Amino acid sequence: MWVSLVLFFLLVAFAYVDVGSIAIGSNKYNLSLIRLNKAIAYSVAILGLQVVVGYTGQIALGQSFFFGTGAYISAWLVADYSWPFLLTLVIVIPSCFLIGMILGLPALRIRGLYLALLTLGLAALFPTIVKLDSLYKYTGGAGGKLTTNKITGSQYKFAPPSWLPLDEIAQALQKIPLLGGYFGDGPLSNREESRMWKFILFSLVASLCFWLISNLIKSKPGRAMRAVRDNETSAAVSGVNLAMTKTISFGIASALGGIGGMIYVAEVGIASPDDFSSLVAIYLIVGLVVGGVGTLSGAVIGGLVYALIPDWASSTQSISFVPQRWLQGPTGSLILGLLLIVLTLFMPGGISTAAKKVKNRFVTIQSRANEE
Amino acid sequence: MTPYDERTWGADMDLFLQRLFDALTNGSTYALIAVAMVLIFKATTLINFAQGEQAMLGAFIVLQLWKWGIPMWGAVVIGMVFSGILAACLERTFIRKFDPADHLPLVIITLGLFLVINAVAAIIWRFDPLSFPQLFPSGRAVTIGNARLSWYSIFAFGSCLLVLFVLQTLLTKTKIGLAFRAVSSNLESSRLCGIKIGQTLQFGWALAAAAGTLGASIYAANPVLQIEPTIMLRALIFSITAAALGGLDSLWGALIGGLTIGFVQSVVVQYIPFIPNEMTLAAAVVVLLIVLTFRPSGFLGTKTVERV
Repeated sequence: MWVSLVLFFLLVAFAYVDVGSIAIGSNKYNLSLIRLNKAIAYSVAILGLQVVVGYTGQIALGQSFFFGTGAYISAWLVADYSWPFLLTLVIVIPSCFLIGMILGLPALRIRGLYLALLTLGLAALFPTIVKLDSLYKYTGGAGGKLTTNKITGSQYKFAPPSWLPLDEIAQALQKIPLLGGYFGDGPLSNREESRMWKFILFSLVASLCFWLISNLIKSKPGRAMRAVRDNETSAAVSGVNLAMTKTISFGIASALGGIGGMIYVAEVGIASPDDFSSLVAIYLIVGLVVGGVGTLSGAVIGGLVYALIPDWASSTQSISFVPQRWLQGPTGSLILGLLLIVLTLFMPGGISTAAKKVKNRFVTIQSRANEE
Repeated sequence: MTPYDERTWGADMDLFLQRLFDALTNGSTYALIAVAMVLIFKATTLINFAQGEQAMLGAFIVLQLWKWGIPMWGAVVIGMVFSGILAACLERTFIRKFDPADHLPLVIITLGLFLVINAVAAIIWRFDPLSFPQLFPSGRAVTIGNARLSWYSIFAFGSCLLVLFVLQTLLTKTKIGLAFRAVSSNLESSRLCGIKIGQTLQFGWALAAAAGTLGASIYAANPVLQIEPTIMLRALIFSITAAALGGLDSLWGALIGGLTIGFVQSVVVQYIPFIPNEMTLAAAVVVLLIVLTFRPSGFLGTKTVERV
């Protein structure tokens, strides 16, 4: 099943690497890989939220803080020291892990709502921190930090290795009868190639994260986390080290936020303060809830929802029976907020749990014993 | 002492007084929003993250009514009533069905309301700043040296006190106030006594929204501010900190907390040279961290004892 999913995504990637948009009525919707890459970044950040909120049960809302930290560290290393993007993870992961653990320390005493308050405050703080004059050298102040190399003045290029037959695959796909037209024509241009390579790399990084976390959840520390979520007292009685479990889960969540930030900045090319405001923290929570709290597939769905819905909402410029005014404002934010409320009211497990329920209704597993 | 020294001492003193007056102004407005949060927390042990946005929507309605030619204080009263009714409806539809002890869904619902109200206000009134009618006489009331205390500051502080007195009377002298206090003290017992829990909490939400609308209107009426849909984002963090500092379930604590945050923001931070001016928000978050870690019940809040 996973293999077919991966193949499907690769096909989508090849189909949309150069097709910019599809049109419904008079509206154009962008489906390019840029959105998918952003979705990957958000998915990894939301995966972090799954660990701390979904599995450990700590209401931590400030993921945008670590998303931003990862993005800024990565942009700084790439631009000022000409590191390749993936190598920056060597710095991003440990530093975000440490910062997350330190900031998670108050969570040992503060819980529930109070923690939500504090983490939201932290998220609101991030833009003002990066705009500080004393950090201008590293963060570029209010204007943001470009990832263009300081010395050569050029962007970091994601060049696919020569052994990867991207061109050949693209051309082979174009020869498929009927469907071939969807895959564009001619060999891929340099830009398309690098975009494709980025997508493959990011998918690999994200899959690695998802694989590691799914193993973590099934193993001893993961069980400890779920025990803390379900009942702290009984977890402590059963010998779970509460302080350790909580701080580690904060650390892991923050490290994942940092990785997401790296992917984001590698795609967007600039880390600007407003991309990591407290509103982003809330949107990431939307992703968490819409996908399904405490499910890994929920993080993927959440990432897609966050990356695509506001974007599509702002490209919808006219629907015949809706007044213009309602389409040109922050419609994406309105839709996300409504989704958050409606899903919490009617579908508490999010989309991924609902999908499972639907599947269970049609596919039932019967044991052999009953038949005989 | 040379005259030169005397003059700088005087200037310093003026500056200090001016900052103190600013602290009073900011503190009173934070306190008004904090009071709204405290009311809801008292009733439901829930922090309403949408409180600031509800208040902002209320202030916009006041502005709209005023533009339609209703006298401004009449507009404020109608706006308060309207946002009270709206809040009662919100409570009935979205909040009541959840278990108050399970925080995550409630936090998520209020965050959803936050996004929706903010977006709706931005769609209707756009992001351009609009000027808000002056609720209070303009000009300065007291001038000491070069420090000016404007009428606005005095009236803002006065209305804060007035709101607290009215709420205090409402909660202690009326029947529904008694019910409200009973519910906030012990939900199960008050249900057994025949108090209608739902309506009482709804009343709390309406009261909170009305107080919040008054707070936001006063905040927006500041001569140096204009109203826009994002006006409450910053104020929300300060107000939350104020509420937590005073003790989340104490009305007078909200006033003390608000004034303290105003003092920290306008006086303390200005005198610490290594903290840049923009870091007032950071100062608030640090205060919040310290309070929550070492004294979660704040100045005047009731201590909670957790039983297993």
